[in-house]
Amino acid sequence: MSNWDILWQARDEFWTGFLNTMQIFGLSITAAFVIGCFMLYLLEGRPSVGKLSLRVFIDGMRMLPFLMLAYLLYYGLPTLGVRLDAWWAGVGALAVYHGCYFAEIFRGSRLVFPQGQIEAAQAHGFTRARMFVRLILPQIVMQTRPLIGNQLIYALKDTAFLVIITVRELTAAANSLSGTYFIPTEAFLVVIGFYWAVSIAMEIIIKQCGRFGARRGLDHA
Amino acid sequence: MPDDTAVSIHQLSKSFDDVEVLRDVSLEVAPGEVVTILGASGSGKSTLLRCINWLEQPDRGSIHIAGQRIGVDDAGKRMNARALARVRAQTGMVFQSFNLWPHLNVLHNITEAPVHVMGKSKGEAQTHARELLDKVGLSDKAQAYPGTLSGGQKQRVAIARALAMQPEVMLFDEPTSALDPELVGEVLTVIKDLSAEGYTMVIVTHEMSFARAVSDQVVFLDKGLIIEKAAPATFFDTPSTQRVRDFLKNHH
Amino acid sequence: MNASAWQMLFDGAWTTLWISAVSIAIGVVAGLIIALIRLARIPVIDQILVLYISLARATPLVTLALFIFLSAPTLGFGLDRSVAGILALTINTTAFNAEIWRSGFRNFSRDQREAAMATGMTPWITFRRIMLPQMIITSLPGLINEMSFLIKGSPAIAVIGVVDLTRVTNRISAVTYEPLPPILVACALYMVIIGALVWLQRLAERRANRLAT
Repeated sequence: MSNWDILWQARDEFWTGFLNTMQIFGLSITAAFVIGCFMLYLLEGRPSVGKLSLRVFIDGMRMLPFLMLAYLLYYGLPTLGVRLDAWWAGVGALAVYHGCYFAEIFRGSRLVFPQGQIEAAQAHGFTRARMFVRLILPQIVMQTRPLIGNQLIYALKDTAFLVIITVRELTAAANSLSGTYFIPTEAFLVVIGFYWAVSIAMEIIIKQCGRFGARRGLDHA
Repeated sequence: MPDDTAVSIHQLSKSFDDVEVLRDVSLEVAPGEVVTILGASGSGKSTLLRCINWLEQPDRGSIHIAGQRIGVDDAGKRMNARALARVRAQTGMVFQSFNLWPHLNVLHNITEAPVHVMGKSKGEAQTHARELLDKVGLSDKAQAYPGTLSGGQKQRVAIARALAMQPEVMLFDEPTSALDPELVGEVLTVIKDLSAEGYTMVIVTHEMSFARAVSDQVVFLDKGLIIEKAAPATFFDTPSTQRVRDFLKNHH
Repeated sequence: MNASAWQMLFDGAWTTLWISAVSIAIGVVAGLIIALIRLARIPVIDQILVLYISLARATPLVTLALFIFLSAPTLGFGLDRSVAGILALTINTTAFNAEIWRSGFRNFSRDQREAAMATGMTPWITFRRIMLPQMIITSLPGLINEMSFLIKGSPAIAVIGVVDLTRVTNRISAVTYEPLPPILVACALYMVIIGALVWLQRLAERRANRLAT
C-alpha cells in the first residue's frame, strides 16, 4: 500500500479535522466581526477615559502573539476560577484577538469618513445608533474589504495555533496521522492543500463582493 | 552620415497604437545651434525630443548624435543597454517635472552620473559641480535636498545635472511648464545664458518670446509633420502657413 | 516566581529574538532576490515563484514548522529544532517580503528612472544608485510591519519543541503550578519587543514620507 493509500483510508480523520477548523474559524470570525463593529461604535463621539482604555486594549492586543492570548484563556483563566475547554478557549481567543484587528481596520477608515454625510444624517433627524448602523458601518465595511479579506486569512492561519493547546483541528489531524503511520510529508501536504484552497476561495469571494460594491457605487474599484 | 552635425534626425516615424505621432521627420542641428520645437499639445514635439535620446523608440528612421547612431548598432541590431547608455551620456536632458533624485542632495544629484557613468573622481566631479551650481546661481544650495527647493531652483539643479556630463547636445522638454509663473524667468535666464555660451540645444517650449530670443532655428510640428522650419524672425513675422498664423494668434 | 523562573523567561525571550532575527535577515534579502527574479518574468520560474508565494502566504506557520521538522528525517536529513524553526519562519516571511519589495519596484517613479537613463546610466547602475536606495526607504515601513507579524507568528516554533518565550511559560508552570504569572510576564515581554518595532515603523514612515515630498 502506498503512503497515499494510507492517507485515503484515513480520510475521515482529515475531514473531521477540516470541519472542526472550519467551525472554529466560522464561529470565531463572525464573533470577531461583531466585536469589531461594536468596538467601533463604542469609539464614536468625543474622547473619554473609557474610549481611551478601549484604544489601549486594542493596541495591546495587536502587540501580542495570538497564541499568548489563547494561553491566557486556556492556562491562565482557571487560576481565576474560570475553566474553559480547549475548543472554547480557542474560539474565544480568536474572536477577541481578531475583533481588535477588525476594530483597528474600521477605525482607520472611520477617521477619513466624510463629515458632510454625518451632518446630512443629523439634519434628517437620525439617531446616533441608527446613523451608525445604516450609514457609517456599511460604507466602512465595503471600503475596508481588502483589509478584511487579509484579516480573514490571518484568522484562518491562527486556528492552527490551537493544536498547541490540544484542540483537534486540521493541523492536529495531520500531526496525529503522521505520528501513527510515519508519513509526515504526505499528511502535511494534504493539510497545506486544504488551507490553501480555503484561502483562495476567500480571496475570490472578497473580489466578488468588490464587484457587487462597485456596482452599487460604494467604492471606486 | 554627416559628422559635423550635433544631432541629425532622418525620416523618423513613430506611432502609439494606431496614432501616428511622428511622420517622416528630418532635422539637423549644427554644433552651437539652438533649435526650438513649437506646436500644439499632441503635435508630437515631446515625442520627437524623447526619441533623440531613445527614451522613446521610433518605428522607422535614424538618429545620430555627433555622428554616432543611437539605438541601433553597426550591425543593424538593437543596441544593448550598455552601448545605449554610452550614447545617451552624450546628451543631457531637462524634464518638465525636474525628476531630481530625492534621496541625494543637490551636489550628489549633479555628481552621480559623472562619477558612476564617466568614472570621474569624486573630487573632480564635485569641483565641476560647484562651478555649474555657480553658473545656475545656486552655489549656496549644494547640501540642500531637492524636497526643500522651489520649482525654479529644482529646474536649475536639473540643468546643472545635465550639463555635468558635458553633453554634445542639451534637450529641454518644456522646462518651464510645471513652474509657477513667477519662477519661469529664473530658468529661462539660465537657458539664455547657456545659448550665449555656445551650447547646442534642442528646446520644446510654449514660451514664444523666449523662443524668438534664443533660437537660431524654429521648427513647427503639426500632427507629427514638420510644416515650418525657419529662422525666428521669419517664423514669427512672416509665417508661410495658415496653421502657424493661427497658432501664433492664439499664443500672444 | 523565583529568580530561576525570571532567568528562564529571559532565555526564552532571547531564543525568540535570535531565531526571529536570523529569519528576518535572510527573509528580507531573499525576498528582494525573488522580487528581482519576478521582474524578469522568466517563464516557468515565474509561475513557480507565484505558486510558492501563494502557498507560503496561505500556510499556517505551525503547520509549516511541523511539516519541515517531521518530513526532513523521512527525506534523509534530520534537522535541528532551531534550524527547522528558522527555516519555517524564513519560508513564510520571504514570501511576504517579496511582495513588499515588488510593490516598491512597481511604484517606483518612471520619471526618475528616465532621468537616470538620460544621463547615460546603465540599468544596473540605475538600480543600484537610484532605485535601491529609495526603495529601501519606501519599503522599510512595510518590511518592519512584516517583522512584527513574524514575531507574532514565532510561537509556532514552540510546536516542534523550541523553548521560546511562549513555551517557556509551560516549563515554568510545570514546576510552580501557577501558569498566570509567567504568561503575563511573557505577554509584557512580547509587547516590549513588538512595541519597539511599531515605534521603529513610525520612524520609518516619517522618513519615507519625507522622501515622497
